[in-house]
Amino acid sequence: MKIKFITVFTIAIALVLSACGKSDADLQKAVTEKLTAASVTGVAVAVKDGVATLTGEVADAAAKKKAEDTAKTVEGIKSVVNSTTLKPIPVATPAAADPALTGKIDQDLKKAGCTGASVSVTGGKVTVTGEVPNAKYAECVQVIMQSGITGIDNQLKKGK
Amino acid sequence: MSVQEKYVSLLELANQNGTTYELSEGNEGTLVVTGTAPSAEAKQQLWDEYARLDPEFRSGDLILNIQTAESAAAGGGMHTYTVESGDNLTKIAGKYGIQWKAIWDHNRDILKDPDKIYPGQELKIPM
Repeated sequence: MKIKFITVFTIAIALVLSACGKSDADLQKAVTEKLTAASVTGVAVAVKDGVATLTGEVADAAAKKKAEDTAKTVEGIKSVVNSTTLKPIPVATPAAADPALTGKIDQDLKKAGCTGASVSVTGGKVTVTGEVPNAKYAECVQVIMQSGITGIDNQLKKGK
Repeated sequence: MSVQEKYVSLLELANQNGTTYELSEGNEGTLVVTGTAPSAEAKQQLWDEYARLDPEFRSGDLILNIQTAESAAAGGGMHTYTVESGDNLTKIAGKYGIQWKAIWDHNRDILKDPDKIYPGQELKIPM
């Protein structure tokens, strides 16, 4: 009876150990190393019962996702709580004054063959009206977005 | 969902294809992505991804301002205006809300006389 109990007990212990695998401390180290290898910086890692919690400030949404995806690849991590925050981004400054932006966009649209489009710029935000051929549409929007504006109300129509 | 999260696949693609970019916040929370792509192909990949997320670019929450490394090196902050028949410096300056003298100052290398410009001439416009 005693021997049977010890056997069951030993098997139970063995099962628990194999299920746990690495300790939380080992996992924390593994995740940190993997983040460093993936050039993710500014992220602190805490692991409890196989659940990794990421904190700190990251450059942008892409870096945030990368941190989470990287942590998930570490063997033994059951789930990841991504509590990293995005670095605040600066306020955009228009590339030039409104009349200069309008002049620039007009000229660039003409060069690109987008003659049906017209723009007006207020406080760096452009309102686009008119109609351009369907095949030209994406190119015309590109020209406008590359002018240094900081906002857009795109009412441009697609023609034939 | 923040604007950055909406366009996260676009930012990821930029990181993958070697585009360097900076983010800023434009009018009414618009996300402004200003960057330089290593090639025209890389730039097109970004525009294709933008089109996948917002097929007609009408949401107004993203401005994708990507130059290619080549055009960034050539442009240097100047805009080019092509002179048309009937133009004069004052008239051209009016289109940009600047003084004619500003254009004259930036084009003395190609203009001999501020009153003599010709259709087809390319003038540098300071921005």
